[in-house]
Amino acid sequence: MLNSVFIVFTLLQLGSSDNLSHPRGIPASKASFYRPAETFRCIQSGKTIPFEYINDDYCDCEDGSDEPGTSACPMMRYYCENIGHKPEYILSSRVNDGICDCCDGSDEFEGEKIQCHNFCEEIGRKDREEKEKEKKLQEEGSKIKLNYIQQGQKIREEKKVRLNQVEKEKDEMAEIKTDLENKKTEAETPEKEAKERHEKAWEEEKAKRKAEKEKQTALIVFDEIDSNDDQHVEMGEIMAHSEFDIDADGTVSHDEAKEYLEELEKVGRDDFIEKIWPNIKEIFKSKKSDSVAKGDKDSQSTEEKVPDLTPNVADDDEDDYDGDDDEEDVDKQRVSEIQDVENKTPEEDEDKMPDYDEETKQLIAAADEARNQFNDADRKLREAETEMNNLKSFLDLDFGHQDVYASLKGQCFEMTDREYTYKLCPFDKASQRPKSGGTETSLGVWGHWSGDETDKYSAMKYEKGQNCWNGPDRSVQVLLQCGMENTLLSTSEPSRCEYQFEFATPAYCSQEDSNANKETHDEL
Amino acid sequence: MAMSIQCALISQIKMLQLLFCLSYFVILSSAVSRENFKTCEQSGFCKRNRAMQPGQSPYIALIDSLQVQANSLNIQLLNKNNNVRLKLEAYGLQDNMFRVKINELSPIKERYEIPVGDSLIEEPRLHNINLSQKDKDKIVFTMDSNKVVISVEPFRMDIYSNDDPVISINAQGLMKFEHYRKKESWLINTGSSIFSWFTNHFREAPPAENEEEKPEGEEKKEEENAVETKTEEEPDMWEETFKTFTDSKPHGPSSVGIDVSFPGFEDVYGIPEHADTMALKTTKTTDPYRLFNLDVFEYELYNPMALYGAVPLMYAHNEMRTVGIFWHNAAETWIDISSNTADKSVFSHIADFVKGNNEIPQTDTHWFSESGVIDIFILLGPTPSNVFKQYARLTGTTPLPPLYSIAYHQCRWNYNDQDDVKSVDANFDKYDIPYDVIWLDIEHTDGKKYFTWAHEKFPHPEEMIKNLSVKGRKLVTIVDPHLKREDGYSVYTDARDKGYLVKNKDGNDYDGWCWPGSSSWPDFTSAEVREWWTSKFSLSEYKGSTPDLIVWNDMNEPSVFNGPEITFHKDVKHMNGYENRDLHNIYGLYVHQATMDGLLRRSGGKERSFVLTRAFFAGSQRHSAVWTGDNIGEWSHLKVSIPMILSLNLAGITFSGADVGGFFKNPEHELITRWYQTGVFYPFLRAHAHLDTKRREPYLLPEEHMNIIREALRLRYSLLPYWYTLFYQAEQDGLPIFRPLWVDYPKSKEVFRMDDQFLLGSSILAKPITDQGTTNTNVHFPGRHDIWYDIDTYEVYDGGVTKNVAAPLDKIPVYQKGGSIIPRKLRPRRSSSLMYQDPFTLIVCLDQQGNAKGEIYLDDYHTFQYRNGEYLHREFTFNNNNLSSKNIDPKGQFNTREWIEKIIIVGYPKNPLNISIKNFSGENSKRLAHKYNSEEKSLTIRKPGVNIADVWTITIE
Repeated sequence: MLNSVFIVFTLLQLGSSDNLSHPRGIPASKASFYRPAETFRCIQSGKTIPFEYINDDYCDCEDGSDEPGTSACPMMRYYCENIGHKPEYILSSRVNDGICDCCDGSDEFEGEKIQCHNFCEEIGRKDREEKEKEKKLQEEGSKIKLNYIQQGQKIREEKKVRLNQVEKEKDEMAEIKTDLENKKTEAETPEKEAKERHEKAWEEEKAKRKAEKEKQTALIVFDEIDSNDDQHVEMGEIMAHSEFDIDADGTVSHDEAKEYLEELEKVGRDDFIEKIWPNIKEIFKSKKSDSVAKGDKDSQSTEEKVPDLTPNVADDDEDDYDGDDDEEDVDKQRVSEIQDVENKTPEEDEDKMPDYDEETKQLIAAADEARNQFNDADRKLREAETEMNNLKSFLDLDFGHQDVYASLKGQCFEMTDREYTYKLCPFDKASQRPKSGGTETSLGVWGHWSGDETDKYSAMKYEKGQNCWNGPDRSVQVLLQCGMENTLLSTSEPSRCEYQFEFATPAYCSQEDSNANKETHDEL
Repeated sequence: MAMSIQCALISQIKMLQLLFCLSYFVILSSAVSRENFKTCEQSGFCKRNRAMQPGQSPYIALIDSLQVQANSLNIQLLNKNNNVRLKLEAYGLQDNMFRVKINELSPIKERYEIPVGDSLIEEPRLHNINLSQKDKDKIVFTMDSNKVVISVEPFRMDIYSNDDPVISINAQGLMKFEHYRKKESWLINTGSSIFSWFTNHFREAPPAENEEEKPEGEEKKEEENAVETKTEEEPDMWEETFKTFTDSKPHGPSSVGIDVSFPGFEDVYGIPEHADTMALKTTKTTDPYRLFNLDVFEYELYNPMALYGAVPLMYAHNEMRTVGIFWHNAAETWIDISSNTADKSVFSHIADFVKGNNEIPQTDTHWFSESGVIDIFILLGPTPSNVFKQYARLTGTTPLPPLYSIAYHQCRWNYNDQDDVKSVDANFDKYDIPYDVIWLDIEHTDGKKYFTWAHEKFPHPEEMIKNLSVKGRKLVTIVDPHLKREDGYSVYTDARDKGYLVKNKDGNDYDGWCWPGSSSWPDFTSAEVREWWTSKFSLSEYKGSTPDLIVWNDMNEPSVFNGPEITFHKDVKHMNGYENRDLHNIYGLYVHQATMDGLLRRSGGKERSFVLTRAFFAGSQRHSAVWTGDNIGEWSHLKVSIPMILSLNLAGITFSGADVGGFFKNPEHELITRWYQTGVFYPFLRAHAHLDTKRREPYLLPEEHMNIIREALRLRYSLLPYWYTLFYQAEQDGLPIFRPLWVDYPKSKEVFRMDDQFLLGSSILAKPITDQGTTNTNVHFPGRHDIWYDIDTYEVYDGGVTKNVAAPLDKIPVYQKGGSIIPRKLRPRRSSSLMYQDPFTLIVCLDQQGNAKGEIYLDDYHTFQYRNGEYLHREFTFNNNNLSSKNIDPKGQFNTREWIEKIIIVGYPKNPLNISIKNFSGENSKRLAHKYNSEEKSLTIRKPGVNIADVWTITIE
């Protein structure tokens, strides 16, 4: 029974002395550690063990150095020589596990589980071809990249120049604005005074007209009530008008009439106008002209329509007027039904403020001119500020080494898969829209460069896209690679609403063979 | 997988589908979907059975009808209230079991019974019984040291073991057997529930069936009962409405129920699946525990609501013995539990205080199912391992799984395309994290048509699988039982044209909504349909599949998005002439059984295979692994996974686990790390995540967490020889693998309800951390005479003691029992199949006497050749400073290259002088080098170098 065990040993021993001048699994450079002797010193821990313990498929050294060629020490690494290709280290746990990890097949030397072929020449050649191709791509791409750098730097230069220019313009504009603002104020002061003067005169005139009109109305009423034409209004005459029936019992009593006559027996014209009319004008209904009271009202409301005097708002004025008109449509309609005596148009004309005098008109024109000039300057200043901010934020963007990516800003690239068209606008935004049509969904706006520490400029992050139902805001990680032209190569969604784009651009090309180096690094 | 899919994002969805989906979401998004599921109050038969009052049983046993055979007896039961007769059959069974069946004597329609072979593996083997007494009050019969007393009026059965009462049936008199009856014809014509309510409440006439069911003989009695006593009719007996769903109930009320008491028992376990503690709780103030396979969205914890699967098996345990009952019924079932001790806290009984401490604890249970028959298996133990074996005799055990299936599974809804699969696979290797199986959820299909591929995403599935299988890995695809109703989908049209689809009450193909939209379901209850389904898995039928593709059955409760309680209508018709009402809980079993048969057939039965199922029933363990469904990435769900898997293991579903990380939501790094530390002890170990979650493959986590997870997974892989041995033993004896402490320490009352720590087999004790921010925990070390060793530090802990131990994030409190020997494989590999030939390290943990013992089982790890004797089952023994290996099963012979590289003896008192190994004949003695660590008291023996099949002895001097 024990024999089978010894067979295993023998196999292993053979493995480790298989035409090699040093134990299996180490590069020649480390052979000096494994010179045949009675004992072996574990390389790091320093522990001494019998030499035959090396590669005997039992882990004796804590650092694993006694088992470079077996899987006994999990922390150890196995060296594949890979002649014809490039040498590499693999994890010891991948030795004799039934998978050919090294292209020379040396990791499966037991041969029990699998027979590995040496295909280092083949993959070495392929690898070299690939590398050559890659190198060519990188070279060609790098030429274009140089253009990008030139463009990028040119853009930056132009933007800088423009920024300087705009800054200057802005300062000038600010001065001009201040100057025009003063001028505006200067022109507006006399304008205001002249206008106020004119308006005040008009107000007084209007009051006068109103009083006169009131008096005329009162006299008409007086004549109407004074049925006996004795130039006095008496108790009996009041009692003949049913609208004075305060308690609405059907008759106008003595007391009620007395009430209206202010306890007097009768009143003459002057007293009527002064004392009685104000009390009855709301009540009295003219038989001849039912509109006297209303007419008065109408004139009151027209009063409100005095043009607004705020400057340069003639248009608004018009609107306001129309508005009031509308509101009083009902009233007017009723009035016009009963008003057959009075002519409306002259009345309106009467109520309208006369034009400013020539002097005032000139002042207003001067002020308008000053205002226009000021507004114009203000707008230009704001435009300059906006442009300045845009330039500044552009110049603040990190366009990579030597601004190589700057020329991508302002461009968009699309790719369509089965369902969606994806769009990437570098340094701006990423989005998708259904192929069949429909609205665009934001997948994110420019966030930051998001490559790893070794190469920050290898990936871009777009974030704060449209929020996902029950989930995060959409975002995109854009992985860059070297290509002859700017192309959105692929899109995927590894996690819900976290997208990944692959984007090829000459800007990512490099003449150094950095990509190939990285791969090797990963393997280790 | 689950239902919270973001509908709008499903591609190729039709407008109607979208609308439906959205409205479905409105319901779902209102937090937990509790209102989608019936309470007892909303279930007619639950309400009727729960309303039964103790002490008023109308059933009497008709002594004159007694017939006794060698292994059984039968007797008629009469319901005095309605004069309906039942027949009771009682059988003695081998392995210390009884069976009691109650059915209608002459039903107008045959009642459903689960066919033998579907849940039960075979017709149970009978055992002789002896009638020892028969008089007008009672009948007594015995079987070995057990005795059954049948009381005549009212009918009850008391079962005694060695004269101790252990189980009583109908002792409370809650038995209710709703016989099939005819609905009055004019009522059938109207079919209006209001109308029937009216008539039910006001009619005087006796129900129609009395004319038909004239009991033979007993004419006098019939005369007396000619006018039936109070009608049993209630409004929901002939039609029942829940939410907007109306159940037509063409056969009327048909429920069966009875009470089962466990005198002397305070603790009962089992009846999965519930998200609840392992020890079952009294249901005095809650609904009864419900068994009804349902797809419950974001299920609530610690309540008796139904979940995806059902095993109507309950154990009662005390310091003296363990007994159990298996309720062999596949209809919707509810179980009420009350206990004179537990309920004291609820209703303080003055009488109990008067009686003092002499009161015997008792647990009373009340079981009722919507249809079928009463068919109770009584498992009399008396030890825990006895009851597990007894149950295994009835429904079988889990066949030894292929090694890969007990390793680590990596799943996500969804890996998007074959490049995604490639990249996940590559990253596991890059970060040197082992895994065996990668899974594809529903998005891999063309429009949710199972057995197809989304060709744009998976243009070359065979090539993709081959890239995995060269590293010993497998691919799982999901195959759900719902078939998209699409004319171009041949699986559907084939089933439709053959008449294989489940029918609605009107006899048309049932049409419900699931992932693909409008769907139909094959009638898996039919053996012919199962055979047809099985053929769909052949490599020629399932395009793009290879022998390395295995399958996952989800949604097989079944889940019907627009069905009542998200499942079939109860009046759905099966090909066997029964309604889904009669057999709902076993439908899912048929699905995964047929799937497994399909996979086995691919290799002509040579290769073992693997199926995962969400729905299950008693017997599912023979075909599939089970997971606990759509859990949530929250600490509470990590914690509850332990009692849930304990309960599944107790009920025979040993190969079970919970989704590591939680299906819904995004677990924080600490939680997912702790979840892996727990999950590596689940018999079925899979990480899974919902479509809406962030990616969380271990290599994406911060290095600290990734390293801890890698270590946890390596621990799992290193213990695979032990796991494999446990699975082999479980196939033989049905013992739970992931087991509660009381199974091994049945007399230690303090562990009876412990469900936050567990044993793996007998030799490993684990108490994973399931609380946020916790860095220490109280571990109870069972066994007053046992000692336990921390598997990392070999620190010793005395048994019978609870001790606080440190558990920082990188520590899992796991212990190996003193006296055990565990074989491990300590060389990390990328997958388990790459470990087939790796050498073993034996961890020998000495007990207080300095002895230890352990077993190893091994074979080729993937075929059925072990059933032809190609295996090794060996025992290692350490005593008197001799460690030896011997074959304990001479039937097994197997050649392997596996050898023993190292032996670590833990608890060894001093540095020995000399260690040597000799073979069986005593020749060829060889000296072995060793190393002794006096702090750890561990002795490492260098490279015995013997083949695992060898007979040898190592002597320490």
